[in-house]
Amino acid sequence: MATNTVGLFDAPATALAAAGELKGAGFDATSIISPIPLHGAEKVLGEKKSAIKRFTFFGGLFGMLFGFSLAAGTAVLYLHPTGGRPIITIPPFLIITYEMTILCGILATVIGFLVSARFPAMRERVYVPEAAVDKFVVSVLCSDDAHDRRAEEILRSAGAEEIRRLREED
Amino acid sequence: MQAERDISYADVNRDVVRSLVETGSKYYITLAISVSVMLACFFAPWFYQLQYGIGAAGMNHPTVWGTYLASFIFWIGLSHSGTLLSCVLHITNSSWRKAMYRSAEAMTLFSLMVAVTMVMVHLGRPWFIHWAVPYPNQMELWPNFRSPLMFDVMAITTYLTGSTIFIYMGTIPDFAAVRDRTTGWRHHMYVLLSLGWRGTDTEWHRLGWAYTFLAVLIIPLAVSVHSIVSWDFALSIVPALHQTIFAPYFVVGAIYSGTAGIVTVMFVLRKYMNFEHYITKLHFDNLGKLLLVLSLIWTYINVLEIFTGWYSGTSTEYEAIRYKLFGYYAPLYWEMILFCAVAPLLMISKRFRTSFVPMLILSIAINIGMYTERFLIVATSLSRQYLPDAWGIYVPSLVEISIMVGSLAMFVTLFLIFVKIFPSISIYEIKETLPEPEPKTQSESGAPEWQPTL
Amino acid sequence: MSFINDFLASWREYRRPGYYEKFDYAWTMSIDLDRCTGCEACVTACQAENNLPIVGEDEFAKGREMQWIRIERYWEGEYPNVKLGFIPMLCQHCDAAPCETVCPVSATYHNQDGLNAQIYNRCIGTRSCAVYCPYEVRYFNYNNHHWDAPLDEQLNPDVSVREKGVMEKCTFCIQRIRQAKDQAKDDGRRRVRDGEVQPACVQTCPAEALVFGDRNDAESQVAQSMNHPRAYHVLEELNTDPSVVYLKKVGSNAG
Repeated sequence: MATNTVGLFDAPATALAAAGELKGAGFDATSIISPIPLHGAEKVLGEKKSAIKRFTFFGGLFGMLFGFSLAAGTAVLYLHPTGGRPIITIPPFLIITYEMTILCGILATVIGFLVSARFPAMRERVYVPEAAVDKFVVSVLCSDDAHDRRAEEILRSAGAEEIRRLREED
Repeated sequence: MQAERDISYADVNRDVVRSLVETGSKYYITLAISVSVMLACFFAPWFYQLQYGIGAAGMNHPTVWGTYLASFIFWIGLSHSGTLLSCVLHITNSSWRKAMYRSAEAMTLFSLMVAVTMVMVHLGRPWFIHWAVPYPNQMELWPNFRSPLMFDVMAITTYLTGSTIFIYMGTIPDFAAVRDRTTGWRHHMYVLLSLGWRGTDTEWHRLGWAYTFLAVLIIPLAVSVHSIVSWDFALSIVPALHQTIFAPYFVVGAIYSGTAGIVTVMFVLRKYMNFEHYITKLHFDNLGKLLLVLSLIWTYINVLEIFTGWYSGTSTEYEAIRYKLFGYYAPLYWEMILFCAVAPLLMISKRFRTSFVPMLILSIAINIGMYTERFLIVATSLSRQYLPDAWGIYVPSLVEISIMVGSLAMFVTLFLIFVKIFPSISIYEIKETLPEPEPKTQSESGAPEWQPTL
Repeated sequence: MSFINDFLASWREYRRPGYYEKFDYAWTMSIDLDRCTGCEACVTACQAENNLPIVGEDEFAKGREMQWIRIERYWEGEYPNVKLGFIPMLCQHCDAAPCETVCPVSATYHNQDGLNAQIYNRCIGTRSCAVYCPYEVRYFNYNNHHWDAPLDEQLNPDVSVREKGVMEKCTFCIQRIRQAKDQAKDDGRRRVRDGEVQPACVQTCPAEALVFGDRNDAESQVAQSMNHPRAYHVLEELNTDPSVVYLKKVGSNAG
C-alpha cells in the first residue's frame, strides 16, 4: 500500500537538506510543500521543465491569426466602405490582431498552468494544513513499510518536528 | 528592511484571516452608505436618463461628449496603475510591491468595471451596446473594426480578462491558506477558488512561470490599452485632439492617477484593516518617489503641448491652446496645473513622502486634478473646432455630477466587497519579505514559539 | 489556380481606397455665396421635408438645435460698416469622411451614389461621428420629440421619425433621390436628368443659390460649378473631399 510519509520542519534550510538526503537515498517521489516558493528546491529536487511556454506561444500565434481574420474576414463579409479607406485596412487591423494575440496568449497561459499543475484537483491529495502557515513539509511516497521506516529515519535525523503518514486517495 | 517588525508567518495568516472574517459595525455602515449612494446617485439618475434621453445631461451641439466620457477615461486611467505597476515591479523583482499589489490589482479590476458602466451611461441607445461586440447574428452584421472605438472594445475586453486572470492566479495560494482556517460558506467558496492548491514545489514552479508570463504579456497590453483609449480622441481631426503626443500623454497620465489612487487605497487599508505592520512608511516613500517622477513627466508633456501649439502659429492650434489657458474653462486648467504639477513637488522632501495623512491629501488632490484634465480634454477641444459659428460651451448638468459621484460610490462598494472576500494582502509574498525562519535547536523543541493558532 | 487569381483580384479590390472605382451618380451641391441672402428658407424647408423636430426654446437655448442645414453668419466691423457673409453649412458628404470610419457599429457609410448615409436603426449613439466631423453638421437627438397636433399631420411619410439617442444629418433628401431614380427606371431605364431631383433646400431657395446635380454628368450645372473660378471647398486643407462646392462671394460687401 503506497503511503506518503511527511515530515514537518520549521525552517526551509532543514527541509531542503532533508529532501536532498531523501533524493540521494533513492526516494525519487519526494516533494516539498511550503507556504512560500523555495528557491533552493530546484537544486535539491532536480530541474523542472514546464510546458507553459509552449502554451503561451501557440496561444499567441493562434490569437494573431484569429485577430486578423476576424477583422479582415468580417470586413469582407459585409462590404461597407467608410471614409475613403480600403475595405481591408492594415494599421487598424494590426491593432485588433495585437489585442487578440495578447488575449489568446493570456488564456493559453492559464490553460497551460491548469494543465501542467493538474488543477483543479478532483481528488484529495497529500496535504498538511500547517504547510500553508509556517511549516515546511517534506513528503515522500513510499511503496512499502521498509522504505517507510528508512524515510522516517532520514527525516528525523534531519530535524523533523513531526512525522505523519498520509494516504493519497485512489 | 522590515527589521523593526517582529512578525511571524503565523501572524500573517492570522491577520489576513481576521481581516476577512471579522467585520465590525463600521464596515457595515460604510457598506450601507456606499450602496445607497450608488443607488441614489448613479442608478436613479441613469434610469431617469434612459427614459428621458441624453438630454438629461448637459451635452449639446457641438460638445456632444461630456463628463461621461471624461469619467470613462478617468476610470480606465485609474485602472492602469494596479496591474501595470504590479507587473513591472514583479519583472524587476522589487520587494516593496508585495504588501500592496493585491489591492492595487483589485483597484484595476473595479475601475475597469466602473469604466464599462460609464460607457453604457454615455451611449444614446445603450440597449444596443451588444452590437459593438463581434458575435455571429441573424443580421449578418459585424462591428466596424476600422473604428478607434472598436479598438477600445477589444483592448478593454482583453485588459479586463487579463487583469481578472492575473489577480486570481496570484491569489490561489492565499485562497488555500484561508481555506484551511475558515468555516461555513466561506470555506466552501475558498475550496472552490483555490482549485485544490497544496503548495508543492511543482505547483509553485508552475505558478511562478505562469505568473511571469502573464506579467510579461500584460505590460505591453496595459500600455496599448490606454494608447488606444487616447486614439478615440487623437484619430479625430479636432484641432486640440489630433496630436501624436496623446498616446504617451494618456499612458503617463493613467499611471500617474493610478499610482495616486494606490496611495489613497493603501492609506485606507492600513487604517481600517489594521495592516499597519504590512503597509509601512517604506511603501509610501517609494510610491511618493514614483509619483514625483510621473508628475514631472506629466508636466513636461503639458509644456510640450503648449509650446508646440503656440509655436505652430496656425490659427486653429493657437486658438486651442489660448482657449485652454485663458478661455472659459481657464480656472479649471489652472486648478489642474496646481494640483498635478505644482503640489506634487512637495514630494521632493522625504519627510513629506513618509507622512501618511499629507500623502493621502496629496493623492486625492492629484486625482481631482487628473479628472479635471480629462474633463478639459473633452470640453475645451469640442467647444472650439474649425468653424467659429459652431463654437459652444458645455456645462455638466446635475444628473452628470450625480452620476460621477455615484460611480465613485460604485467603486467603493466593489472594493468593500472585495476586502471581505479576497485576502487583500498577499500572504505568501509578505512571508517572502520576512526573515527566513531559523531551525530550532533540539533543546527548545519542548515549547515551540510559533505554534499555529487556530 | 483560379482560386489564387480570384483571391488576388479580391485583394486588389478590397485594398482600393474608397472601394468604388466610380460612383453611380456622384451627387453634388453647389452653393453660390454671392446669391445667398441668409433668409433661412432652406432651413425651414429641410425641417418640413425631413421631419425635423421642433426642439423648443429651452432646448435651443441649451445649444441643442436640430438644423440639418444651418446658415453660418460671419460679420466684420461695426454697424453701419458691417461686412456680412452667410455660409449655408450642411453635410458635405465627404468622399473621405472622417465620421464614417469611427462608428463602431457601422451606422454610417459611403454608398454607391457618393452619399454619406446614416442608418438610424443601427446607431447606438456613441456620438463619435459628431466629434470627428470638422464641419459639425451632425446632430444628435437628445430626447424624444413630440409634434403638437396638427403638426403631426404634416410629417413626411417617406422619411422616418428618429427616436432619442440617434444621430442624424443631412441626407441630400435621399428619399427624393430614390424616388427620382425609381421614376427614371420606370420610364425605361434612363438616367436621372439634371434638375429632375432637387432636395428641399435647393427647391426652396428663392435666390437660387443652391444647385444640385450629378457631377458625373458633364453637362450638369454642378459639374460646371466645380470648374468655376470662384469654386472652393470649405476646410479644403483637411482633405475630406467634400461633395459640396461653394462659390466665393465677391459682391459689394464681400469680406
